Amino acid sequence: MLQHESSPLSEYEPKKIKIEDAVGSALAHDITEIRPGEYKGPSFRKGHKIERKDLCQLMRLGKRHLYILDLGKEQIHEDDAVLELAIALAGPGVTFDGRPREGKIQLKASYHGLFKVDVDPLINFNLIPEVMCASIHNNTPVKKGQSLAGTRAIPLVIHRNALDKAVNIVRTHYPVFSVKVFNPCKVRLIITGNEVYDGLIEDKFEAIVNEKLKAYGASLVETAILPDDEAMIADSVRLFLDQGTDLIITTGGMSVDPDDVTRSGIRKAGIDKIYYSTAVLPGAMFQLAYKGDVPIAGIPACALYHKTTIFDLILPRLLAGERPDNKDLSRFAHGGLCLDCPTCRFPACSFGKTG
Amino acid sequence: MQDFETLLKGSAEAHGHICPGQVVGVRMAMLGCDLIGLDNPQSLPQIKKIIVYVEIDRCATDAISYVTGVKLGRRSLKFVDNGIMAATFVNLETNRAFRIRSTEKSRELASRYAPEIDDKRLQQLEAYKLMPLEELFEVQEVKVDVPINDMPGPTRFKAVCQKCKTVVRDKKEVYKNEQILCRSCAFDAYYRLLTKK
Repeated sequence: MLQHESSPLSEYEPKKIKIEDAVGSALAHDITEIRPGEYKGPSFRKGHKIERKDLCQLMRLGKRHLYILDLGKEQIHEDDAVLELAIALAGPGVTFDGRPREGKIQLKASYHGLFKVDVDPLINFNLIPEVMCASIHNNTPVKKGQSLAGTRAIPLVIHRNALDKAVNIVRTHYPVFSVKVFNPCKVRLIITGNEVYDGLIEDKFEAIVNEKLKAYGASLVETAILPDDEAMIADSVRLFLDQGTDLIITTGGMSVDPDDVTRSGIRKAGIDKIYYSTAVLPGAMFQLAYKGDVPIAGIPACALYHKTTIFDLILPRLLAGERPDNKDLSRFAHGGLCLDCPTCRFPACSFGKTG
Repeated sequence: MQDFETLLKGSAEAHGHICPGQVVGVRMAMLGCDLIGLDNPQSLPQIKKIIVYVEIDRCATDAISYVTGVKLGRRSLKFVDNGIMAATFVNLETNRAFRIRSTEKSRELASRYAPEIDDKRLQQLEAYKLMPLEELFEVQEVKVDVPINDMPGPTRFKAVCQKCKTVVRDKKEVYKNEQILCRSCAFDAYYRLLTKK
Protein backbone atom coordinates (compact mmCIF):
# COMPACT_ATOMS: atom_id res chain seq x y z
CA MET A 1 0.00 0.00 0.00
CA LEU A 2 1.25 3.46 -0.88
CA GLN A 3 2.33 5.59 2.02
CA HIS A 4 2.00 9.36 1.91
CA GLU A 5 5.33 10.90 2.77
CA SER A 6 3.88 14.14 4.07
CA SER A 7 2.15 14.95 7.30
CA PRO A 8 -1.20 13.40 8.23
CA LEU A 9 -4.17 15.19 6.66
CA SER A 10 -5.49 16.73 9.84
CA GLU A 11 -5.12 16.26 13.53
CA TYR A 12 -8.51 17.75 14.21
CA GLU A 13 -11.18 15.26 15.27
CA PRO A 14 -14.60 16.87 15.03
CA LYS A 15 -17.25 15.76 17.51
CA LYS A 16 -19.84 13.38 16.05
CA ILE A 17 -23.49 13.36 17.06
CA LYS A 18 -26.28 10.96 16.12
CA ILE A 19 -28.63 12.33 13.49
CA GLU A 20 -31.65 12.00 15.80
CA ASP A 21 -29.89 14.25 18.30
CA ALA A 22 -29.01 16.88 15.69
CA VAL A 23 -32.28 18.87 15.60
CA GLY A 24 -31.46 22.49 16.36
CA SER A 25 -27.76 22.14 15.42
CA ALA A 26 -26.20 24.04 12.51
CA LEU A 27 -24.59 21.99 9.73
CA ALA A 28 -20.80 22.17 9.77
CA HIS A 29 -20.51 21.79 5.97
CA ASP A 30 -22.59 21.44 2.81
CA ILE A 31 -24.26 18.04 2.46
CA THR A 32 -23.88 16.74 -1.08
CA GLU A 33 -26.67 14.95 -2.87
CA ILE A 34 -25.96 12.80 -5.91
CA ARG A 35 -28.75 11.52 -8.14
CA PRO A 36 -26.94 9.54 -10.88
CA GLY A 37 -27.18 11.23 -14.25
CA GLU A 38 -29.48 13.90 -12.85
CA TYR A 39 -28.00 16.04 -10.08
CA LYS A 40 -24.90 16.56 -8.02
CA GLY A 41 -24.84 19.46 -5.62
CA PRO A 42 -25.54 20.62 -2.12
CA SER A 43 -28.78 19.34 -0.66
CA PHE A 44 -28.24 21.28 2.57
CA ARG A 45 -25.89 24.25 2.92
CA LYS A 46 -23.37 24.85 5.68
CA GLY A 47 -25.00 26.68 8.60
CA HIS A 48 -28.48 25.26 7.92
CA LYS A 49 -30.25 24.74 11.23
CA ILE A 50 -31.52 21.19 11.25
CA GLU A 51 -35.26 20.74 11.73
CA ARG A 52 -37.10 17.55 12.47
CA LYS A 53 -38.48 17.48 8.92
CA ASP A 54 -34.90 17.35 7.53
CA LEU A 55 -34.05 14.06 9.26
CA CYS A 56 -35.65 11.77 6.66
CA GLN A 57 -33.87 13.53 3.80
CA LEU A 58 -30.52 13.36 5.64
CA MET A 59 -31.03 9.67 6.31
CA ARG A 60 -31.92 9.09 2.65
CA LEU A 61 -28.54 10.67 1.86
CA GLY A 62 -26.90 8.06 4.06
CA LYS A 63 -26.27 10.30 7.04
CA ARG A 64 -26.48 8.66 10.47
CA HIS A 65 -24.09 11.06 12.22
CA LEU A 66 -23.22 14.73 11.83
CA TYR A 67 -20.20 16.75 12.89
CA ILE A 68 -20.29 19.48 15.49
CA LEU A 69 -17.38 21.86 15.09
CA ASP A 70 -15.71 23.69 17.93
CA LEU A 71 -12.72 25.21 16.19
CA GLY A 72 -9.58 26.56 17.79
CA LYS A 73 -7.67 29.55 16.43
CA GLU A 74 -5.37 27.41 14.29
CA GLN A 75 -8.15 25.25 12.90
CA ILE A 76 -9.66 26.60 9.70
CA HIS A 77 -12.96 25.43 8.23
CA GLU A 78 -12.74 24.22 4.61
CA ASP A 79 -14.89 27.10 3.31
CA ASP A 80 -12.65 29.73 4.88
CA ALA A 81 -9.53 27.87 3.79
CA VAL A 82 -10.56 27.55 0.15
CA LEU A 83 -11.22 31.28 -0.01
CA GLU A 84 -7.61 31.96 1.01
CA LEU A 85 -6.37 29.42 -1.53
CA ALA A 86 -8.42 30.91 -4.36
CA ILE A 87 -7.33 34.47 -3.57
CA ALA A 88 -3.69 33.39 -3.72
CA LEU A 89 -4.07 31.34 -6.90
CA ALA A 90 -6.08 33.84 -8.95
CA GLY A 91 -3.81 36.22 -10.83
CA PRO A 92 -4.83 38.91 -13.31
CA GLY A 93 -7.77 37.92 -15.49
CA VAL A 94 -8.85 35.17 -13.08
CA THR A 95 -11.78 35.48 -10.72
CA PHE A 96 -14.26 33.32 -8.82
CA ASP A 97 -17.50 33.24 -6.88
CA GLY A 98 -16.59 33.89 -3.26
CA ARG A 99 -19.22 31.47 -1.99
CA PRO A 100 -17.72 27.96 -1.94
CA ARG A 101 -19.96 25.06 -2.93
CA GLU A 102 -19.31 21.80 -1.13
CA GLY A 103 -15.95 23.22 -0.03
CA LYS A 104 -14.83 23.95 -3.61
CA ILE A 105 -14.20 27.14 -5.55
CA GLN A 106 -14.02 27.29 -9.32
CA LEU A 107 -11.68 29.84 -10.84
CA LYS A 108 -12.95 31.48 -14.01
CA ALA A 109 -11.66 33.79 -16.73
CA SER A 110 -12.70 37.40 -16.27
CA TYR A 111 -11.94 38.24 -19.90
CA HIS A 112 -11.12 36.61 -23.24
CA GLY A 113 -7.44 35.73 -23.53
CA LEU A 114 -4.70 33.15 -23.22
CA PHE A 115 -4.73 31.12 -20.01
CA LYS A 116 -1.30 30.81 -18.42
CA VAL A 117 -0.27 28.35 -15.74
CA ASP A 118 2.99 28.37 -13.82
CA VAL A 119 3.08 24.60 -13.63
CA ASP A 120 5.90 23.92 -11.13
CA PRO A 121 4.42 25.93 -8.23
CA LEU A 122 1.06 24.36 -8.99
CA ILE A 123 2.63 20.91 -8.58
CA ASN A 124 4.37 21.98 -5.38
CA PHE A 125 1.07 23.33 -4.06
CA ASN A 126 -0.50 19.93 -4.70
CA LEU A 127 2.31 18.18 -2.83
CA ILE A 128 0.70 19.51 0.34
CA PRO A 129 -1.84 16.78 1.08
CA GLU A 130 -4.34 19.08 2.80
CA VAL A 131 -5.04 21.08 -0.38
CA MET A 132 -5.60 20.46 -4.05
CA CYS A 133 -6.00 22.44 -7.24
CA ALA A 134 -6.69 21.07 -10.72
CA SER A 135 -6.62 23.24 -13.82
CA ILE A 136 -7.04 23.13 -17.57
CA HIS A 137 -3.83 23.25 -19.63
CA ASN A 138 -1.38 26.08 -19.92
CA ASN A 139 -1.68 28.21 -23.10
CA THR A 140 -5.36 27.47 -23.70
CA PRO A 141 -7.33 30.32 -25.29
CA VAL A 142 -10.27 31.02 -22.97
CA LYS A 143 -13.47 33.03 -23.08
CA LYS A 144 -14.84 35.24 -20.32
CA GLY A 145 -16.54 33.12 -17.66
CA GLN A 146 -14.86 29.88 -18.73
CA SER A 147 -13.79 27.53 -15.94
CA LEU A 148 -10.03 27.43 -15.52
CA ALA A 149 -9.37 25.55 -12.30
CA GLY A 150 -10.94 24.19 -9.16
CA THR A 151 -9.45 24.21 -5.70
CA ARG A 152 -10.37 22.99 -2.24
CA ALA A 153 -9.04 22.03 1.15
CA ILE A 154 -9.16 18.27 1.53
CA PRO A 155 -10.12 17.85 5.21
CA LEU A 156 -13.18 19.53 6.69
CA VAL A 157 -10.84 21.40 9.02
CA ILE A 158 -7.32 22.32 7.97
CA HIS A 159 -4.49 23.43 10.25
CA ARG A 160 -3.32 27.03 9.81
CA ASN A 161 0.28 25.90 9.17
CA ALA A 162 -0.65 23.71 6.22
CA LEU A 163 -2.87 26.42 4.77
CA ASP A 164 -0.18 29.08 5.11
CA LYS A 165 2.37 26.79 3.50
CA ALA A 166 0.12 26.25 0.47
CA VAL A 167 -0.72 29.94 0.17
CA ASN A 168 2.95 30.94 0.41
CA ILE A 169 3.97 28.58 -2.39
CA VAL A 170 1.61 30.22 -4.85
CA ARG A 171 2.09 33.75 -3.52
CA THR A 172 5.83 33.62 -4.06
CA HIS A 173 5.21 32.56 -7.67
CA TYR A 174 2.42 35.05 -8.36
CA PRO A 175 0.67 34.71 -10.71
CA VAL A 176 0.25 30.94 -10.85
CA PHE A 177 -2.91 31.41 -12.92
CA SER A 178 -3.44 34.37 -15.22
CA VAL A 179 -5.12 35.32 -18.46
CA LYS A 180 -3.23 37.40 -21.00
CA VAL A 181 -5.30 39.66 -23.21
CA PHE A 182 -5.00 39.27 -26.96
CA ASN A 183 -3.57 42.30 -28.70
CA PRO A 184 -5.81 43.68 -31.46
CA CYS A 185 -3.00 43.10 -33.98
CA LYS A 186 -2.87 44.41 -37.53
CA VAL A 187 -1.95 41.39 -39.62
CA ARG A 188 -0.75 41.22 -43.22
CA LEU A 189 -0.83 38.01 -45.24
CA ILE A 190 1.41 36.82 -48.06
CA ILE A 191 0.00 33.92 -50.06
CA THR A 192 2.65 32.30 -52.23
CA GLY A 193 2.26 29.86 -55.09
CA ASN A 194 2.53 30.12 -58.88
CA GLU A 195 -0.72 28.21 -59.27
CA VAL A 196 -2.66 30.82 -57.27
CA TYR A 197 -0.76 33.80 -58.69
CA ASP A 198 -1.44 32.62 -62.25
CA GLY A 199 -5.10 32.08 -61.47
CA LEU A 200 -4.99 28.35 -62.11
CA ILE A 201 -6.59 27.65 -58.75
CA GLU A 202 -8.57 29.81 -56.38
CA ASP A 203 -6.96 30.80 -53.07
CA LYS A 204 -8.54 29.26 -50.00
CA PHE A 205 -5.97 30.42 -47.44
CA GLU A 206 -7.18 33.98 -46.94
CA ALA A 207 -10.60 32.91 -45.65
CA ILE A 208 -9.04 30.36 -43.27
CA VAL A 209 -6.54 32.87 -41.86
CA ASN A 210 -9.15 35.61 -41.61
CA GLU A 211 -11.55 33.44 -39.64
CA LYS A 212 -8.87 32.36 -37.17
CA LEU A 213 -7.65 35.93 -36.66
CA LYS A 214 -11.17 37.22 -36.04
CA ALA A 215 -11.68 34.71 -33.24
CA TYR A 216 -8.94 36.50 -31.28
CA GLY A 217 -9.85 40.07 -32.21
CA ALA A 218 -7.00 40.55 -34.70
CA SER A 219 -7.63 42.01 -38.14
CA LEU A 220 -6.32 41.15 -41.57
CA VAL A 221 -5.54 44.49 -43.17
CA GLU A 222 -3.90 43.40 -46.43
CA THR A 223 -3.26 40.28 -48.48
CA ALA A 224 -0.64 39.89 -51.22
CA ILE A 225 -0.73 36.95 -53.63
CA LEU A 226 2.76 36.29 -55.00
CA PRO A 227 4.43 33.76 -57.28
CA ASP A 228 7.19 31.49 -55.97
CA ASP A 229 9.77 34.21 -56.40
CA GLU A 230 12.31 34.88 -53.68
CA ALA A 231 12.89 38.52 -54.54
CA MET A 232 9.20 39.38 -54.72
CA ILE A 233 8.54 37.62 -51.42
CA ALA A 234 11.44 39.46 -49.76
CA ASP A 235 10.22 42.81 -51.14
CA SER A 236 6.71 42.16 -49.86
CA VAL A 237 7.94 41.21 -46.36
CA ARG A 238 10.06 44.40 -46.22
CA LEU A 239 7.14 46.52 -47.43
CA PHE A 240 4.78 45.04 -44.85
CA LEU A 241 7.35 45.63 -42.10
CA ASP A 242 7.71 49.26 -43.19
CA GLN A 243 3.94 49.71 -43.13
CA GLY A 244 3.71 49.05 -39.40
CA THR A 245 2.46 45.47 -39.26
CA ASP A 246 2.13 43.62 -35.94
CA LEU A 247 2.26 40.14 -37.46
CA ILE A 248 3.07 38.88 -40.96
CA ILE A 249 1.73 35.50 -42.01
CA THR A 250 2.91 33.65 -45.08
CA THR A 251 1.22 30.58 -46.47
CA GLY A 252 2.71 27.81 -48.58
CA GLY A 253 6.20 27.30 -49.98
CA MET A 254 7.60 25.87 -46.74
CA SER A 255 8.48 22.39 -47.95
CA VAL A 256 11.34 20.82 -49.91
CA ASP A 257 10.29 21.27 -53.55
CA PRO A 258 12.47 23.44 -55.79
CA ASP A 259 9.58 25.90 -56.05
CA ASP A 260 9.24 26.19 -52.26
CA VAL A 261 11.10 29.47 -51.89
CA THR A 262 9.01 31.27 -49.28
CA ARG A 263 11.50 30.42 -46.54
CA SER A 264 14.46 31.77 -48.46
CA GLY A 265 12.41 34.81 -49.52
CA ILE A 266 11.72 35.63 -45.87
CA ARG A 267 15.39 35.12 -45.02
CA LYS A 268 16.39 37.53 -47.79
CA ALA A 269 14.11 40.20 -46.34
CA GLY A 270 16.70 40.70 -43.61
CA ILE A 271 15.17 39.09 -40.58
CA ASP A 272 16.85 38.87 -37.16
CA LYS A 273 15.93 35.36 -35.95
CA ILE A 274 14.61 32.33 -37.70
CA TYR A 275 13.37 28.98 -36.38
CA TYR A 276 12.44 26.32 -38.90
CA SER A 277 10.60 23.07 -38.16
CA THR A 278 8.40 22.26 -35.21
CA ALA A 279 7.54 19.09 -33.35
CA VAL A 280 3.92 19.27 -34.47
CA LEU A 281 1.94 17.14 -36.89
CA PRO A 282 0.36 18.64 -38.91
CA GLY A 283 2.74 21.56 -39.21
CA ALA A 284 6.29 20.16 -39.05
CA MET A 285 7.55 22.58 -41.70
CA PHE A 286 6.38 25.68 -39.89
CA GLN A 287 8.85 28.56 -39.77
CA LEU A 288 8.88 31.36 -37.24
CA ALA A 289 11.03 34.40 -37.97
CA TYR A 290 11.34 37.78 -36.27
CA LYS A 291 12.33 41.20 -37.48
CA GLY A 292 12.73 43.13 -34.26
CA ASP A 293 9.58 42.33 -32.32
CA VAL A 294 7.48 41.54 -35.39
CA PRO A 295 6.88 37.83 -36.01
CA ILE A 296 6.75 36.40 -39.52
CA ALA A 297 4.90 33.10 -39.27
CA GLY A 298 5.34 30.76 -42.23
CA ILE A 299 2.38 28.41 -42.36
CA PRO A 300 2.89 25.24 -44.40
CA ALA A 301 0.28 24.22 -46.94
CA CYS A 302 -1.05 21.47 -44.66
CA ALA A 303 -3.24 24.16 -43.04
CA LEU A 304 -5.32 24.14 -46.23
CA TYR A 305 -6.32 20.55 -45.63
CA HIS A 306 -6.29 20.04 -41.86
CA LYS A 307 -8.74 21.95 -39.73
CA THR A 308 -6.28 22.22 -36.85
CA THR A 309 -2.52 22.62 -37.22
CA ILE A 310 0.53 24.32 -35.74
CA PHE A 311 -1.10 27.62 -36.78
CA ASP A 312 -3.82 27.11 -34.13
CA LEU A 313 -1.19 26.50 -31.44
CA ILE A 314 1.12 29.39 -32.29
CA LEU A 315 -1.38 32.11 -33.29
CA PRO A 316 -2.90 32.73 -29.81
CA ARG A 317 0.59 32.86 -28.30
CA LEU A 318 1.76 35.47 -30.82
CA LEU A 319 -1.41 37.55 -30.43
CA ALA A 320 -0.98 37.45 -26.63
CA GLY A 321 2.39 39.12 -27.12
CA GLU A 322 4.56 36.03 -26.64
CA ARG A 323 7.56 35.50 -28.84
CA PRO A 324 8.21 31.74 -28.85
CA ASP A 325 11.69 30.46 -29.72
CA ASN A 326 13.03 27.07 -30.87
CA LYS A 327 12.75 25.70 -27.33
CA ASP A 328 9.07 26.63 -27.19
CA LEU A 329 8.53 25.06 -30.60
CA SER A 330 10.26 21.87 -29.40
CA ARG A 331 8.06 21.76 -26.30
CA PHE A 332 5.11 21.14 -28.57
CA ALA A 333 6.53 17.62 -29.13
CA HIS A 334 4.70 16.11 -26.17
CA GLY A 335 1.10 16.53 -27.27
CA GLY A 336 2.02 17.77 -30.73
CA LEU A 337 0.35 14.93 -32.62
CA CYS A 338 -3.13 15.67 -33.90
CA LEU A 339 -5.25 12.53 -33.98
CA ASP A 340 -7.20 13.85 -36.98
CA CYS A 341 -10.50 12.80 -35.42
CA PRO A 342 -13.54 12.55 -37.73
CA THR A 343 -15.14 15.35 -35.68
CA CYS A 344 -12.55 17.84 -34.49
CA ARG A 345 -12.97 18.75 -30.79
CA PHE A 346 -9.94 21.03 -30.59
CA PRO A 347 -9.16 22.71 -28.22
CA ALA A 348 -10.93 20.09 -26.04
CA CYS A 349 -8.30 17.45 -26.83
CA SER A 350 -4.65 16.67 -26.19
CA PHE A 351 -3.31 18.48 -29.28
CA GLY A 352 -0.69 21.04 -28.35
CA LYS A 353 -1.45 20.95 -24.66
CA THR A 354 2.09 20.79 -23.34
CA GLY A 355 3.57 23.42 -25.63
CA MET B 1 -41.94 48.63 1.11
CA GLN B 2 -43.83 51.88 0.61
CA ASP B 3 -46.75 52.08 -1.83
CA PHE B 4 -46.25 52.94 -5.51
CA GLU B 5 -47.41 56.58 -5.33
CA THR B 6 -45.15 57.36 -2.36
CA LEU B 7 -42.17 55.72 -4.04
CA LEU B 8 -42.86 57.55 -7.33
CA LYS B 9 -43.07 60.90 -5.55
CA GLY B 10 -39.79 60.30 -3.73
CA SER B 11 -38.09 58.96 -6.84
CA ALA B 12 -39.14 61.98 -8.92
CA GLU B 13 -37.81 64.32 -6.23
CA ALA B 14 -34.50 62.47 -6.04
CA HIS B 15 -34.18 62.35 -9.85
CA GLY B 16 -35.21 65.96 -10.42
CA HIS B 17 -38.38 65.50 -12.43
CA ILE B 18 -41.33 63.19 -12.99
CA CYS B 19 -41.20 61.30 -16.29
CA PRO B 20 -42.29 57.99 -17.87
CA GLY B 21 -38.89 56.55 -16.97
CA GLN B 22 -39.59 57.15 -13.28
CA VAL B 23 -42.85 55.21 -13.52
CA VAL B 24 -41.17 52.35 -15.40
CA GLY B 25 -38.23 52.30 -12.99
CA VAL B 26 -40.35 52.32 -9.83
CA ARG B 27 -42.63 49.57 -11.11
CA MET B 28 -39.69 47.53 -12.37
CA ALA B 29 -37.90 47.81 -9.01
CA MET B 30 -41.03 46.91 -7.05
CA LEU B 31 -41.56 43.86 -9.25
CA GLY B 32 -37.89 42.89 -9.06
CA CYS B 33 -37.81 43.05 -5.27
CA ASP B 34 -41.03 41.06 -5.07
CA LEU B 35 -39.64 38.36 -7.37
CA ILE B 36 -36.47 37.91 -5.32
CA GLY B 37 -38.39 37.93 -2.06
CA LEU B 38 -37.24 41.25 -0.57
CA ASP B 39 -39.86 43.60 0.86
CA ASN B 40 -37.54 46.09 2.54
CA PRO B 41 -34.31 46.23 0.53
CA GLN B 42 -33.24 49.62 1.88
CA SER B 43 -32.84 48.39 5.45
CA LEU B 44 -30.71 45.83 7.25
CA PRO B 45 -30.50 42.89 6.84
CA GLN B 46 -31.97 43.01 3.31
CA ILE B 47 -29.67 45.84 2.18
CA LYS B 48 -26.80 43.34 2.16
CA LYS B 49 -28.71 40.77 0.14
CA ILE B 50 -29.45 42.71 -3.04
CA ILE B 51 -27.45 43.56 -6.14
CA VAL B 52 -29.05 45.14 -9.21
CA TYR B 53 -27.49 45.18 -12.68
CA VAL B 54 -28.87 48.02 -14.79
CA GLU B 55 -28.38 47.99 -18.55
CA ILE B 56 -28.96 51.66 -19.34
CA ASP B 57 -28.01 55.01 -17.83
CA ARG B 58 -31.32 56.79 -18.27
CA CYS B 59 -34.18 57.99 -16.03
CA ALA B 60 -35.44 54.56 -14.98
CA THR B 61 -32.04 53.69 -13.50
CA ASP B 62 -32.36 56.44 -10.89
CA ALA B 63 -35.82 55.18 -9.96
CA ILE B 64 -34.51 51.63 -9.54
CA SER B 65 -31.72 52.91 -7.32
CA TYR B 66 -34.17 54.99 -5.28
CA VAL B 67 -36.63 52.15 -4.67
CA THR B 68 -34.10 49.42 -3.96
CA GLY B 69 -31.47 51.54 -2.22
CA VAL B 70 -28.72 50.08 -4.39
CA LYS B 71 -25.80 52.44 -4.99
CA LEU B 72 -22.64 52.39 -7.12
CA GLY B 73 -20.54 53.38 -4.13
CA ARG B 74 -21.95 50.53 -2.10
CA ARG B 75 -21.18 48.16 -4.98
CA SER B 76 -24.79 46.99 -4.97
CA LEU B 77 -25.57 48.79 -8.25
CA LYS B 78 -23.79 47.51 -11.35
CA PHE B 79 -23.89 49.31 -14.68
CA VAL B 80 -23.66 47.18 -17.81
CA ASP B 81 -23.63 49.56 -20.77
CA ASN B 82 -25.97 47.63 -23.07
CA GLY B 83 -28.34 50.47 -24.01
CA ILE B 84 -31.32 48.30 -23.04
CA MET B 85 -34.08 49.34 -20.66
CA ALA B 86 -33.57 46.31 -18.46
CA ALA B 87 -32.35 45.43 -15.00
CA THR B 88 -31.51 42.21 -13.20
CA PHE B 89 -32.36 41.87 -9.52
CA VAL B 90 -30.17 39.42 -7.62
CA ASN B 91 -30.80 38.02 -4.14
CA LEU B 92 -27.32 37.12 -2.92
CA GLU B 93 -28.67 34.92 -0.16
CA THR B 94 -30.92 32.69 -2.24
CA ASN B 95 -29.01 33.11 -5.53
CA ARG B 96 -32.29 33.78 -7.31
CA ALA B 97 -32.21 36.47 -9.97
CA PHE B 98 -34.72 37.96 -12.42
CA ARG B 99 -34.01 40.10 -15.47
CA ILE B 100 -36.83 42.49 -16.24
CA ARG B 101 -36.95 44.25 -19.59
CA SER B 102 -39.27 47.07 -20.55
CA THR B 103 -41.24 45.95 -23.62
CA GLU B 104 -41.27 47.91 -26.87
CA LYS B 105 -45.00 47.22 -27.25
CA SER B 106 -45.68 49.16 -24.05
CA ARG B 107 -44.83 52.34 -25.95
CA GLU B 108 -47.42 51.53 -28.60
CA LEU B 109 -50.00 50.50 -26.01
CA ALA B 110 -49.78 53.79 -24.13
CA SER B 111 -52.52 55.37 -26.26
CA ARG B 112 -54.89 52.57 -25.30
CA TYR B 113 -54.42 53.08 -21.57
CA ALA B 114 -54.53 56.90 -21.60
CA PRO B 115 -56.45 57.88 -24.77
CA GLU B 116 -57.68 61.13 -23.24
CA ILE B 117 -54.13 62.55 -23.12
CA ASP B 118 -52.66 64.00 -26.33
CA ASP B 119 -49.15 64.78 -25.17
CA LYS B 120 -47.11 61.64 -25.84
CA ARG B 121 -44.86 61.97 -22.81
CA LEU B 122 -47.73 62.60 -20.40
CA GLN B 123 -49.71 59.82 -22.06
CA GLN B 124 -46.88 57.34 -21.48
CA LEU B 125 -46.45 58.55 -17.92
CA GLU B 126 -50.11 57.88 -17.02
CA ALA B 127 -50.40 54.73 -19.14
CA TYR B 128 -47.37 53.09 -17.55
CA LYS B 129 -49.04 53.52 -14.17
CA LEU B 130 -52.11 51.59 -15.36
CA MET B 131 -50.60 49.03 -17.71
CA PRO B 132 -50.55 45.44 -16.39
CA LEU B 133 -47.06 44.24 -15.51
CA GLU B 134 -47.16 41.54 -18.19
CA GLU B 135 -47.61 44.18 -20.89
CA LEU B 136 -45.11 46.60 -19.41
CA PHE B 137 -42.35 44.06 -18.80
CA GLU B 138 -40.84 40.83 -19.98
CA VAL B 139 -39.43 38.79 -17.08
CA GLN B 140 -36.77 36.07 -17.25
CA GLU B 141 -35.46 34.06 -14.33
CA VAL B 142 -31.68 34.04 -14.76
CA LYS B 143 -28.51 32.98 -12.98
CA VAL B 144 -25.89 35.60 -12.24
CA ASP B 145 -22.43 34.57 -11.09
CA VAL B 146 -21.26 37.59 -9.14
CA PRO B 147 -17.48 37.31 -8.96
CA ILE B 148 -15.85 37.89 -5.59
CA ASN B 149 -14.17 41.06 -6.83
CA ASP B 150 -17.56 42.61 -7.67
CA MET B 151 -19.10 41.89 -4.27
CA PRO B 152 -19.80 44.61 -1.71
CA GLY B 153 -17.45 44.69 1.27
CA PRO B 154 -13.83 45.60 1.89
CA THR B 155 -11.27 45.58 -0.94
CA ARG B 156 -9.65 42.16 -1.08
CA PHE B 157 -7.57 42.62 -4.21
CA LYS B 158 -4.97 45.23 -5.12
CA ALA B 159 -2.46 45.27 -7.96
CA VAL B 160 0.00 47.92 -9.13
CA CYS B 161 0.09 48.92 -12.80
CA GLN B 162 3.61 48.20 -13.99
CA LYS B 163 3.47 51.15 -16.39
CA CYS B 164 1.93 54.08 -14.48
CA LYS B 165 2.34 52.62 -10.94
CA THR B 166 -1.31 53.32 -10.09
CA VAL B 167 -2.93 50.94 -7.59
CA VAL B 168 -5.76 49.01 -9.26
CA ARG B 169 -8.39 47.55 -6.95
CA ASP B 170 -10.88 44.72 -7.26
CA LYS B 171 -9.07 42.70 -9.95
CA LYS B 172 -9.69 45.23 -12.68
CA GLU B 173 -6.09 44.98 -13.88
CA VAL B 174 -5.22 43.08 -17.05
CA TYR B 175 -2.24 41.00 -18.07
CA LYS B 176 -0.88 42.23 -21.37
CA ASN B 177 2.43 41.42 -23.05
CA GLU B 178 4.01 40.14 -19.81
CA GLN B 179 2.91 43.20 -17.81
CA ILE B 180 0.18 43.71 -15.23
CA LEU B 181 -1.48 46.96 -16.34
CA CYS B 182 -4.38 49.23 -15.47
CA ARG B 183 -7.02 49.43 -18.19
CA SER B 184 -6.03 52.96 -19.19
CA CYS B 185 -2.49 51.77 -19.94
CA ALA B 186 -3.55 48.49 -21.51
CA PHE B 187 -6.27 49.79 -23.80
CA ASP B 188 -7.41 53.12 -25.20
CA ALA B 189 -8.34 55.34 -22.25
CA TYR B 190 -11.64 57.25 -22.30
CA TYR B 191 -9.62 60.47 -21.90
CA ARG B 192 -6.67 62.12 -23.62
CA LEU B 193 -3.91 63.79 -21.68
CA LEU B 194 -3.41 67.44 -22.51
CA THR B 195 0.22 68.41 -22.75
CA LYS B 196 1.06 71.58 -20.82
CA LYS B 197 2.96 74.10 -22.91
